[in-house]
Amino acid sequence: MNHFTRLCATVGVAVGMLASAHAAFAADSNDAALLQRGEYLATAGDCIACHSAAAGKPYAGGLAIATPLGKIVSSNITPSKTNGIGNYTLEQFDDALRRGVRADGQHLYPAMPYTAYAQLNDDDVKALYTYFQHGVTAVDSQPAATTLPFPFNIRLSMAAWNLLFLDGKPFVPDTSKSAEWNRGAYLVLGLAHCSACHTPRNVAMAEDSAQPLAGAVVSTWFAPNISNDPVSGIGGWSEAEIAEYLRSGRAVGKAQAAGPMAEAIDNSLSRLTDADRKAIAVYLKAGPIQHHAGDDTQAAYSWGQPALAIGADRGAARVGDTTLFNGAQLYDANCAACHQAHAEGTPAWGKDGAALPSLFHNTALGHANSNNLVMAMLDGVARKSDDVMMPSFRQQLTDQQIATLSNYLLQHYGNPAAKVTVAQVSQLRAGGASSSLLTTARVGIVVAVLLLLLIVLLVARRRRK
Amino acid sequence: MSEQYSADVVVIGSGIVGALAAHRLALQGASVLILESGPRIDRATLVANFRNSPRKGDFMSPYPFSAWSPHPVYQPEDNDYLVQAGPYPYKAEYIRIVGGTTWHWAAQAWRNLPNDFKIQSQYGVGRDWPISYDDLEPFYYEAEVKMGVSGAPNNGSPRSKPFPMQPVAQSYLEQRFQERLAPGGYQVITNTTARNSRNYDDRPACCGNNNCMPICPIDAQYHGGLAVDAAEKAGAKLIINAVVYRIEHDDKDRIVAVHYYDPQKNSVRVTGKTFILAANGIESPKLLLLSASDKFKNGLANSSDTVGRNLMDHPSNSLVFDAEEELWPGRGPMSPSSINHLRDGAFRAEHAPFRIDISNSSQVASVTQNLIAKGIYGAELEEKIRYYSARQCSLKNVLEILPDPNNRVVLSDKKDALGIPRPQVHYAMSDYVHRGMAAAREEYTRIAQLMGGTNLRYSPDGIYGNNQHITGTMAMGSDPATSVVDAFGRAHDHPNLYIASTGIMPTAATVNSTLTAVALALRSADHIHANA
Repeated sequence: MNHFTRLCATVGVAVGMLASAHAAFAADSNDAALLQRGEYLATAGDCIACHSAAAGKPYAGGLAIATPLGKIVSSNITPSKTNGIGNYTLEQFDDALRRGVRADGQHLYPAMPYTAYAQLNDDDVKALYTYFQHGVTAVDSQPAATTLPFPFNIRLSMAAWNLLFLDGKPFVPDTSKSAEWNRGAYLVLGLAHCSACHTPRNVAMAEDSAQPLAGAVVSTWFAPNISNDPVSGIGGWSEAEIAEYLRSGRAVGKAQAAGPMAEAIDNSLSRLTDADRKAIAVYLKAGPIQHHAGDDTQAAYSWGQPALAIGADRGAARVGDTTLFNGAQLYDANCAACHQAHAEGTPAWGKDGAALPSLFHNTALGHANSNNLVMAMLDGVARKSDDVMMPSFRQQLTDQQIATLSNYLLQHYGNPAAKVTVAQVSQLRAGGASSSLLTTARVGIVVAVLLLLLIVLLVARRRRK
Repeated sequence: MSEQYSADVVVIGSGIVGALAAHRLALQGASVLILESGPRIDRATLVANFRNSPRKGDFMSPYPFSAWSPHPVYQPEDNDYLVQAGPYPYKAEYIRIVGGTTWHWAAQAWRNLPNDFKIQSQYGVGRDWPISYDDLEPFYYEAEVKMGVSGAPNNGSPRSKPFPMQPVAQSYLEQRFQERLAPGGYQVITNTTARNSRNYDDRPACCGNNNCMPICPIDAQYHGGLAVDAAEKAGAKLIINAVVYRIEHDDKDRIVAVHYYDPQKNSVRVTGKTFILAANGIESPKLLLLSASDKFKNGLANSSDTVGRNLMDHPSNSLVFDAEEELWPGRGPMSPSSINHLRDGAFRAEHAPFRIDISNSSQVASVTQNLIAKGIYGAELEEKIRYYSARQCSLKNVLEILPDPNNRVVLSDKKDALGIPRPQVHYAMSDYVHRGMAAAREEYTRIAQLMGGTNLRYSPDGIYGNNQHITGTMAMGSDPATSVVDAFGRAHDHPNLYIASTGIMPTAATVNSTLTAVALALRSADHIHANA
């Protein structure tokens, strides 16, 4: 615990920033420290990402989180006594956080990463409770209710799910490893809930414990393998590169964060202490290796080299219709102004300027799964932490144009085995594939009911005999 | 003849001025219809056209010409669309596609100076505006927020609120000019531009492509195409390839409809409650003149006989020289900074005021052409391209020409493909401009000396470039006998016809006219909404 207290002392979050509601509470310096620690932990847990709507008040909930089963609306976790968690006791808060059960006894959906938060220790739960009761401004507004389709609208179904998939035991440090490794493990497995996106899920949508951090499709984006495998994962990254990526969203010559990872960096990882980012890097570099023998032949960041995109087409007869452009022409018209003629990107321009990444040596073009390349074009890239913005081309480019351009880029600058189809682009444009779980569950229920009827019939027939 | 469309507000022209007025009115709940004579061209096509063009310096070359919506083209040869009656050529470039001419600008988004609104009462020249700087200030600010404008706070135009963003980072050339000219008493300030220095309005920051003209390839620079997108998002409807050729009034002098041709010359009538004419400073007066009726024999809004008169632009003239140090123009925006202290002063009674603009355009193409023309080739050519491209600099001025009723746009007897008369321009330079130029030339020489300049190449005396700042042709004023529109841009003769254009500016001042025209149009929109 000393280790952790020391860390928190370095956080440097000004207590003066906290609202007046808890100013009285925080009069005692122990309480103030607890509050400050709770705030840091809430940042590390990235609670705000889901529990705030776009342009909504912090922690007031209301964000509709797209899941393959439907939209799950986040709840108000401000200390509002009418609409939030203002009446929660520490025990009730703990139940929600680590066991996925609300104060009214109803189960939470595992969109709330309580399976990860279950790793938290008691002291951290208390610090978080203190922060959410006294450090957050109460907002008396009620987010819309979550309405998932049958049978998932029966929250009790989650009880069975929890029996199968919730390991309710807090993190136990491994005394054979360093304090730094243990801190990293505690963050990665617990608060930072990396596995929520980066670990593949099984048919019941629970994380597959046999493949930790082996990479998974999350909605429309691909959360890559971040295990220590040098080919499939990030074994080729140095600790310093991982830590820098977590800080700025960019590892030069390797990768840049977009989509949900950019949000995680903006809201959470960029705001951690250097020591915590280093600890995460140490843990990942010492963690289990997940190798995909089939798809992965070289590290995702290692593909490609500089090449002149338009060379062969320069000076050729003008094609008036951009829908007939080939990949090089599309690149020239839409991409080259920033990513440059040889796709080499540009270094930072001006004191506040952002560096623009190269397209070779870029993981977005290196994975067998090409979703992130398509999503970057459809939705652009936005990171507040380093004021990076690639505009969205959703309105400018058709599915066919994006497929043509993507395949050109993959062929010339990325992993040539990766492909993009028009159908893939249109599915990603529409918001991704829906889950087969819904059908499975419904079919399963029908099968179960039929079985039950059969048993009842058999029993009845026997009794008649 | 069919009547197919109707709206609360009908806007003729989809350039930045009309589109931003349309955007404001649509946001306030009006049904808005925008009629654009030309086609819609996406940015990727324009960028591809630019990159494929052998004439990188011809800012019209990426913009397709359409026969039904013709615009002037001068290279490779003059298409003679704009008929020149002389004595001085007025070779305006403008683009008749969705978004208009700000597709190719350097994003200069200056406010006038307070004195620019009253040069007649202050200096006894030109004419006063019916409004003051203070009347326009809130609308200047509104325009700056929409367009993402930044600049130096000490640019002479007082502000109620700071710019919405910091200026774009200074290029090395700009820094060196600033440092070397300061001892000579010159203050080099960053230009006021609608160019993102940070991510703003879902558009990225400038990354220094240095082809602001003819096309910013990433929309870091604001333009009319973006204004149209915003207006459509707010609910306005856009009809492309709709060539308005007649404005129709009723017996109470109110405008009841406009008529347009599609490219096949089918005519369509569009009715509305309020009409905004926003088809630039040449095409708008052309349309008013074309719409002459039995009652308004000289054309609509023209009881003062000033429609088309008082045509102005900003004549400019340049100095090219070789600096003694490597400055490498071409990194960053093309026109990043200028010298502004000669824009106002008692001298305005005697000669034209001016701004001196320091170019940062890449010199590689012009240096190379010059060297090849001199017969230099091989290794020496490469070496000299490198040497001169790093050092060659260019200054130009932006001079205020005064309104003169003899400088004017009229209908020529030549017709375009749809049979619509083409505009004819009568234009002459005045001694006021020549005297201003003489004063500017002295400044040029001093600046070149401070930069250690050699090989000074002044553009010929009496020869001026055109800057596409078409002003004066539908001037605003308090007196209906001497002006076309009132202080709110409403035609004196027609209570529901507004004109949103650089053409309603009664004087040209010394800065690019776009921001002022947008501010005036937003003020008109505010007036339309308040009186709806």
